[in-house]
Amino acid sequence: MTWLPGIDASADFWPARLRQAWLVVREASMSGTVAPMRDDAAHPSRRPARWPWAWACAVWAVAWLLMLGLDRHIGLAQAAVTLVLASALAAIWLPLVASLATTTLAVFAFDWFVVPPRHSFSVELSEDVLLLAEILLLSWVVTALLARGRVLATRARRSASHADQMRRLGDALREAEDPLRRGQALCQALDDLLGEAPRLLLLRDATTLPADDRASTTLGAPSADDLVGMWHCVRLCQQFGPGTGHEPELPALYLPLRGTEGAAYGAAMIAANPRDMTTPDVLVQAQALCDQMGQLLHRARTQRQAESAHAHAQGQTVRNALLAAISHDYRTPLAAIMGAASSLRDQGDKLTSGQRERLAGSIVAETRQLSRLTDNTLQLVRLDAPGVKLHLDWESPDELAGAAIDRARKHDPDRRIKVWAEPGLPLVRCDAVLFSQMLENLIDNALKYSDSPAPVELSVRRHGEHVVFAVRDSGPGVEPAWREKIFEVFQRGDWRSGSSNSAAQRGAGVGLAVCRAIALAHGGDLKLRPRSHGGSSFECWLREEEAPRVDARDSTLDGASS
Amino acid sequence: MTLRVLLVEDDRELCRTLKDAMTAEGYEMFTAASLSESFALLTGLGSRPTSGGAPVDLVLLDLGLPDGDGEQLLAALRQKHTVPLIVISARESDGQKVRLLDAGADDYLVKPFSIRELLARMRVGLRHRGTSVAPAVTRYAVGELAIDLGTRDVMLAGKPVHLTPTEFNLLARLVRSAGQVVTHRQLLMDVWGAEFTEHTHYLRLYMAQLRGKLEENPADPQLLMNEPGVGYRIVESQG
Repeated sequence: MTWLPGIDASADFWPARLRQAWLVVREASMSGTVAPMRDDAAHPSRRPARWPWAWACAVWAVAWLLMLGLDRHIGLAQAAVTLVLASALAAIWLPLVASLATTTLAVFAFDWFVVPPRHSFSVELSEDVLLLAEILLLSWVVTALLARGRVLATRARRSASHADQMRRLGDALREAEDPLRRGQALCQALDDLLGEAPRLLLLRDATTLPADDRASTTLGAPSADDLVGMWHCVRLCQQFGPGTGHEPELPALYLPLRGTEGAAYGAAMIAANPRDMTTPDVLVQAQALCDQMGQLLHRARTQRQAESAHAHAQGQTVRNALLAAISHDYRTPLAAIMGAASSLRDQGDKLTSGQRERLAGSIVAETRQLSRLTDNTLQLVRLDAPGVKLHLDWESPDELAGAAIDRARKHDPDRRIKVWAEPGLPLVRCDAVLFSQMLENLIDNALKYSDSPAPVELSVRRHGEHVVFAVRDSGPGVEPAWREKIFEVFQRGDWRSGSSNSAAQRGAGVGLAVCRAIALAHGGDLKLRPRSHGGSSFECWLREEEAPRVDARDSTLDGASS
Repeated sequence: MTLRVLLVEDDRELCRTLKDAMTAEGYEMFTAASLSESFALLTGLGSRPTSGGAPVDLVLLDLGLPDGDGEQLLAALRQKHTVPLIVISARESDGQKVRLLDAGADDYLVKPFSIRELLARMRVGLRHRGTSVAPAVTRYAVGELAIDLGTRDVMLAGKPVHLTPTEFNLLARLVRSAGQVVTHRQLLMDVWGAEFTEHTHYLRLYMAQLRGKLEENPADPQLLMNEPGVGYRIVESQG
C-alpha cells in the first residue's frame, strides 16, 4: 500500500470515497492522538498536546457548568449550540470513537437535564426531537471532519518527515566513501524510523555467493541464522516478515536492498515490533530506504565496471600505439642491415674492399642502433610496470658522466664530445645503470640531431638544491610546439607529418620517452631548454640528498685535495 | 701449442659465427650446446699442463641453456680450476653481472657484442691466467703513469704522486686486475674489509680522490674507468 492518492481528487467515485472514509476512520481510531508515531519523534515541536483526555473533560465540564448554571437565563437553542461547540472542541483532543461516544452520551444527558420535561428521556415538543437529532448529527459531522483533518495533517507531516529522511540518507550515502560507513548511515535511518537498530548485509556485487567473504560486509553483528535469512532475502529479492504478506509469523522483518533489474545488493534484518509494522507507510518507508542503498551499490558496481572497461580499452590503445611506434623504429635499421648484408652476399665480388668495409660498418652501426632500441623499449616497459624497483646507490656525478662519454666515444669515435663537471659535486642517489642509459640516450640524441663539426657537451653542475646534468648540442633545435611532445613516445606520428622541423622529423622515438621516465623514477625531471645561439639543452634535474658520512680512517683524507 | 677454447652456446647461428671467427684467430675451438654436453666435453678432454690442469685454456659461457643455467658450470669449474671464464649473455641485469663476477667469472659480455671486443676480452683473460702462474705483477705503466706495487711508488710524468694508504690500496687492487672489472663489493671487501661491502659511498669518494690526483680531467677519465652499477676497471698496462 502506498500513500493514498489524494482523497479529494477521486471524490467522484462513491465506493472509493466510502473506502477512503473507512480508512480514515480506522486510522483515526487507531493512532488518533494517543500514540505518537516514531518518525514524529524526530519533530518534537509538532507533537500533539499532552493530557488530551484532561483537556476534553475540562471542555465538557465548562460546557455543562454553563448549560446547567445559566439554565434559567438561556433558551434551549443557546444550550444546544453550547453542546455542539463543546463536542467540536472535545473532538480536537479525543480519538474519533471516543469523541462520537461522548457526543452521543452528551446528547442523551442534554435530553435528560435540559429538554422539557426534565429528568426524563421523553420529549414534550416534536420540534425538540428534531433539535436533538440535529444536535447529534451535527456533532458527529463536526467530529468526523476534525478527525479526518487530523489524519490528513498527520499523514502530510509523516510524508514530509519520510521525504526528509530519504534526503538525509541520500546525503549521508553520498558523503561516505566506503560501503561500511554508508551502511552505518542506513542503520541510523532505519533506527530512527523503527526504533530498532537493524542488522545489515552489504554486497559488492549482486551475484556474489555467500562463500565470498571479501565481497560482503555485515553490520550489527548478525548471527549465523540471521545471515542465512538475509542471504535468502537477497536471493529471492523479496520482503519477509510481519506486515509484508510473506511469512508474517517470522519474528523479524527482512528487507532486500534492491538495485535495479530485480537484483538485491544486500539485506536488512529488523527485529520488528509487530505494531509498528501495521502502521501504514512505515514498511514502505523502510523498504524505500533500503532500496536507496541498493541503488547506490548498483550504481557503484556499474561505475566500477565502466571504469575497468575504460582502463582496459585505454591500456589496449597505449599498447597498440607503443607497438606501432616501436615497429616503426625497428624497420629503419632493419632495412639498412638487410640492404647492406644482401649486397655483400650477392655483389661481394664486384665491390671494392672499401665498399665492402663500408657496408659491413653500416651493418654493425645499425645493429647497435637496434640493440639500443631494444634496451630502451625494455626499460620503458619495466619503468611502466607497477611497483618498479630501482637499485639506488650513492653515485658520483662525474663518474656517471665519464662512463656515458666513454661509451658514446666508443660508438662514435669521430665526433667531438666534451664533458665538464663542477668541482666538489655531492654524491647523488640513483640507479647507476638506468642513469647511464639516460645519459647515453641523451648524448646519442644530441649526436644524431647536430652536424659533425659542432661538439656535443655534457656538463654537470650544482643549481640550488639540485644537481643538473645537461647535454647540449648545436643542432637546429626543436620547435616550441614540440618541446613537450618530444618526450611522448606516442606523439611520433603527428610530429613526423605535422612538423617541418627536420630534426624532429627523424624522430627521437622511444629514446627520449625512456629518458624522461628514468628522470621521473628518480624523483627528478627532464627538461628541454633552447640555447640562445641555437641548439637544445636537455637537462636532468636531480634533487640533492645528504650523503652518509665517511669515517676519516685515512688521516690525510681531508688533505687529499691539497 | 694452440690455445683451446670451450664455447658453450645454444644458439646455433651465433655458435658457428663465433667458432669461425675464433678459428681464424688461431684458437682451437670446442663447442657445446648444453650443460651436459659441456660437462662431457670437459671430462673427455683431460687435463692440459699449459692451463694448470684444466682441460681448456678459456671458457666462453652463455647463461640460458636448454638443460640448466650456465652458472652451474661456473660453480663446478671454479671448484677445481682457475681457467679464465667469460660470460656471454643476453640478460643485462646488473645484479646478475655482479653476482657472476663475484662468483668467479673473469668478465662478461652482453649480447650483441662485436668480435673485436670479445677477442680483446679473451686476451685480457688469458694474460691474467698467465700472471696467476708467474710471479704477481708488480709494475704497471700506462701513458705517463708508472706504478711499482713493490716499492709503493706512484709516478706521474716523472714526478712522485702522494697517495694516502687507502688510496694506494685501492689503486693496487685495481692494478692487480688491470683491464678487468673489479666489482664494488670486491673492492670494498679487499680494501676496507668485509663489514664495508655495502658502503659504496666510500668507494665513490676515494675513486674521486684518485682521479683528482691521476687523471687530467677527472670527469673524462682515461685511466680509472667506471662500469655503472658493476664496478671499476683500470686500463691495461702498456709496460
